[in-house]
Amino acid sequence: MKFTSRHTAALIGVTLAAATLTGCTEEAGGGGGPAAETGACDPADVKLVGQVRNESNPYEAAWLDGGDAFAEQVGLTQERLTYDGDSTRQQEQVSQLLAGDTECLVMNVLPNGDSDTPPIVEGAQEAGAYLVTQWNKPADLNVTDYDTWLSHITYDGVESGKQIGDALAEAIGGSGGIVALQGILDTGAAKDRFAGLEESLAANTDVELLDDQTANFSRAEALEVTKTLLSKHGEDVKGIWAANDDMALGALEALQQAGRDDVAVVGIDAVPDALTAIQDGTMTATVSSDGPWQGGIGLAIGYCVATGELAVEDIADEDRAWYAEQFLIEQDNVADFVSPETDESDFACDNLFSRSQGAMS
Amino acid sequence: MTSPAEADAGSEVVNAGRPQPRRGISLSDAGPPIALVVIFGVFAVLSPDFRTLSNVQNVLDAAAVLAVVTCGISFVLMMGSIDLSAPGIMGASAIAVALLVANNRNDNDFGLFGVAVAVLLGAALGCLSGLALVVLKVPSFMTTLGISAVGLGVATLMFAGVQPNVTDPMLEGWAVERFLGLAHLTWIAVACVLVGVLVQRYSRLGRYAFAIGGAEEVLGLSGVRVAPYKVAVFTMAGAFYGLAGVLVTSQLSAGLVQAGKGYDFSAITAAVVGGTLLTGGRGGILHSAVGVLLVTVLTNGLVQVGVSPYWQGGVQGLIVVAAVAAAVLPQRRRNQVTK
Repeated sequence: MKFTSRHTAALIGVTLAAATLTGCTEEAGGGGGPAAETGACDPADVKLVGQVRNESNPYEAAWLDGGDAFAEQVGLTQERLTYDGDSTRQQEQVSQLLAGDTECLVMNVLPNGDSDTPPIVEGAQEAGAYLVTQWNKPADLNVTDYDTWLSHITYDGVESGKQIGDALAEAIGGSGGIVALQGILDTGAAKDRFAGLEESLAANTDVELLDDQTANFSRAEALEVTKTLLSKHGEDVKGIWAANDDMALGALEALQQAGRDDVAVVGIDAVPDALTAIQDGTMTATVSSDGPWQGGIGLAIGYCVATGELAVEDIADEDRAWYAEQFLIEQDNVADFVSPETDESDFACDNLFSRSQGAMS
Repeated sequence: MTSPAEADAGSEVVNAGRPQPRRGISLSDAGPPIALVVIFGVFAVLSPDFRTLSNVQNVLDAAAVLAVVTCGISFVLMMGSIDLSAPGIMGASAIAVALLVANNRNDNDFGLFGVAVAVLLGAALGCLSGLALVVLKVPSFMTTLGISAVGLGVATLMFAGVQPNVTDPMLEGWAVERFLGLAHLTWIAVACVLVGVLVQRYSRLGRYAFAIGGAEEVLGLSGVRVAPYKVAVFTMAGAFYGLAGVLVTSQLSAGLVQAGKGYDFSAITAAVVGGTLLTGGRGGILHSAVGVLLVTVLTNGLVQVGVSPYWQGGVQGLIVVAAVAAAVLPQRRRNQVTK
């Protein structure tokens, strides 16, 4: 009850603030007007905000660090926001931000889930704040329908699933049995990554998928499931494909407990423990989306538009919702990723979309 | 629990005072073990992989952590309370133990002492739940949910952004080394079940936990001060969760904030499947242990016979509901208190 009323209050607040802004200021358009009047902001007035789930996740902490690196590059600071994976709290934080001064506000947001994206987008549009979202958005929500939602960046799960599938096939010498640990089955990431594995299997005909089970992206569940699969398939298992690194690490524990060191393991996400395991040679491969770059790029796009170096209408439609490049990490290149750093040139206003692998399909 | 009818409450006291197991085997006690045997038999027929010795070892090893959590939660359920604090307490103790034994974050190397501290941390958090219940009169559902959040908070603070990986050979060895074919972890779980049974049968704490679940008011009227026993039961449950957090850490060689994720409901499920009633006053540690085996055999068996992962969740749920229904059929009248 309390939450609802506070929420409603916040919403009314935002609406009022938006209305006031439309009335008083010319730069910050709202209510569907031709917002994004570029070039309005003095670089020093730009306010940079990065929002992720929590800092206890190394990937998301690295994301915010990348945002800080960009902010430093342009002589600003980034406001670091975390919402603990709680959708309600994310919306409250966004409402609060949008209720303040939104004229030169740039937000780089990781929405908690697909359904959390529309209210954030609508709010930013009304308040005239520049917004870049990453990973999650409903398929039918088009970035080009909005003026201040500058871009949505995500990664092609089919591609990463295929990359590690191929790496695994190579590691087991091109033939043999593998088992797959899927993520939470009703998430897009799990579906896409598994589809990628299936593509890889179609290409590597001598690799046989013995079994696929879900371990819900969890290290502890992966441990139990892998033990069961090892007792079911025994020596036939030559490789384990996991839809994320946490599960891959759980599988590594199970292998250790079963006394098996002849099984190749691959994952996705490039978490620090997985990188260590790849350095040690216990794990074969993972895929990195480059968290620090993600933290910087969203702010960079917003900053470039806010300061007028880039006009929204000049951003090509295929750069409004796009797949960014991801990197396969194996033992030979793992050293480059152990302490990832951002590259200033990636965030230059004429180089923002250089990592695009094409528009989201 | 809150006196349905005078006469009813009167007749329950007799039952509650003397735990079922002492009076030979009744139909209601036999249900879950029969269900276990039947399910085990069905899987054994369907899958040659399931009936191997290594898989039976695997099932017992996989049941270890759940068994320890369920030992704790069973006492709380016997009292007619509910306990949702397992995820938080396990998370806190998992991170605590990972930081106290040899690890990659600091120079600590306290070994068994570190394990003891983690278990004590669990007991302290459990004690807080109990105190909030009896002093502040907050329903156990809410206090334990709150304590779970507190535990996760403590765990997140200690986590501080870098995952502690355990390098302590003793703790890692618990999961890897075997004695009579079973991992040391599994023997620890067996010891926990034995301790639980002894406490339940032979200590005042265990007997009163039953009595409180059966008829708390009558117990109060007979001059027993109930509150300290309630706090003690929650404290003991907390200690079991703390130990379970340590076991998860040993299995994963790493302290995870999410070490106990999902264990609250799987433990309640296991206890109820085993015949411990949510209304209190019935069941016990051995019942719950059977429930744990049943749930674990089910999880393992569905994978072994090759049920598609897309179907497993639903199938597992259906079988659990059917098993509970079969197990509590003889106690239908009493069970209806649970709406």
